[in-house]
Amino acid sequence: MTDTSTRALAAQATRATTTRPRWRRALVSIAYFVIPIAVVIGIWQLVTMLNPPAPFFPQPFAIIANLWDLMFGSPKAVQQVFYGEFLQTVGRMALGFAIGAVWGVVVGTIMGLWRGARETINPIVEFLRSIPATATLPLFIILLGGGNDMRVVFIAYGVSWFVLINTSVGVGSVHKTLLDVGKVFRISLARRLFRIVLPGAMPKIFAGLRIASTAALLLAIVSEFMLATDGVGYMLVQAQGRFQLLNMWSWMLALAILGLIINTLLEWIEGRILGWHRQSKSRA
Amino acid sequence: MTTTAAPRQTRRSPRVGAIWRGVAGVAGLAIILEIVSRSGIVDQKYLPPFSSVIVRAFTLWGDETFRADVGATLLTYLLGLLISIVIAVPLGALFGLFNPVYRAARALIELMRPIPPVALIPLVLLMLGNGLEMKLVIVVFAAVWPIMFNTLYGVHDVDPLAKDMARSFGIRGFGVIRRIVVPSAAPFIITGIRISSSIALIVVITVELIAGGAQGIGAFISREKGSYVDVGETYLSVLAATIMAGIIGLAINLLIGWVERRYFGWESTARDGV
Repeated sequence: MTDTSTRALAAQATRATTTRPRWRRALVSIAYFVIPIAVVIGIWQLVTMLNPPAPFFPQPFAIIANLWDLMFGSPKAVQQVFYGEFLQTVGRMALGFAIGAVWGVVVGTIMGLWRGARETINPIVEFLRSIPATATLPLFIILLGGGNDMRVVFIAYGVSWFVLINTSVGVGSVHKTLLDVGKVFRISLARRLFRIVLPGAMPKIFAGLRIASTAALLLAIVSEFMLATDGVGYMLVQAQGRFQLLNMWSWMLALAILGLIINTLLEWIEGRILGWHRQSKSRA
Repeated sequence: MTTTAAPRQTRRSPRVGAIWRGVAGVAGLAIILEIVSRSGIVDQKYLPPFSSVIVRAFTLWGDETFRADVGATLLTYLLGLLISIVIAVPLGALFGLFNPVYRAARALIELMRPIPPVALIPLVLLMLGNGLEMKLVIVVFAAVWPIMFNTLYGVHDVDPLAKDMARSFGIRGFGVIRRIVVPSAAPFIITGIRISSSIALIVVITVELIAGGAQGIGAFISREKGSYVDVGETYLSVLAATIMAGIIGLAINLLIGWVERRYFGWESTARDGV
């Protein structure tokens, strides 16, 4: 799916270059992004301002201001909140994501390269990945306790399936002739792996990584909801317990921003690394 | 590797071989787990023998509350997916038809999609309590975006020549949508529904797990985990219920995959994606 959408974007871009100057094109696409968001926030702000105060829906500007206070400006807990909670969540997620991604790529490559291995492991993989990852959280808690390690392992476990499946499909779809050429020229296995197999599978692997990154945030939050002493998810549950709706909205906004940042970051990396792939596709 | 050169008759054998290898893989894992557990390398409390987990998974079906929990989860999942389809497909189709609206809607959806739906749980829990409505709100919020995005894209991607041709054959207005737009967008929509389906199931179980109280497989797991009667017993039930969740997930995935291949297999999008 990501594949088709990127192709469409490339096509759109080429179409636009031929008709309009560059700066206008950039301006238009920024406007298409900013205006709808501004309209939605504006309507929300107006409705909450004109209506008698709705306890569950604070004003959007108040939420933003409050988040700013919570993270940077509040004289009470400046350092603690930002470094403590926000970075805790991010750190956990990043570590779990990294471990899960490496594991997924390694196992996925093995599965993609050797049919015997693939056919043997496949039913197990298909079954394990069908278990909703969050449902396994109680098992992780029983097995590993409620500490930080448990959370990282849990995130890594949940994330690895997306990467594993996509890597295995990507590696499996590398053309056999290419592999044979590598063999005929007696290129070492390691070089074949890093020069032929993995670059060929890269678009698929990145599609997996992007889904995995969204999943990593979700799993981090769920694990903080269930059992934690810090992190944004924990702060959210705390605010819920005290009926602090403004704080809840602020932490929700923080999570939304985090999700957006992660997504944008991966898209940017993908664009840098896979630029060649997109170009070759749009030319074809 | 040699099969490419082999005559046609032996083509069937790789599939049979794949099945045998798969069976061997599952059996091997089961035996290893059984041995590790029975021999006491790992404490049986933490890794119960594979066979007793399977037995527990079957005896769970005899438990009426567990059956009710499974029913509640499936009902929430189906309702949530249905509501998402009813919301997302018409809206996506409408937005996809007009280019400026399409671009604006895409920006908004791209913004909403990465927001983790579970972040809404505490708020919705306060507003609606821990019943079916609360679960549905969060499931719909999670499942609506992939369907809408794919519908939007599928409708926008319709070949303009095909539309023009339909018009030149005298088909007007809604007829063009029904005969050209819907059929060519259908594979995209189905892919969106497939992605949303697995998201919906995960979110249903997650909500049940976190919110507790309400019925469902997740609630069952969370109740069992909370009742510290006997660590071994509790763990066995949690493990068995988790495996049942996996079986349900697998069944749903296989069903949707089959529908997609059977009825929408002509389009390559059916094979792409997650």
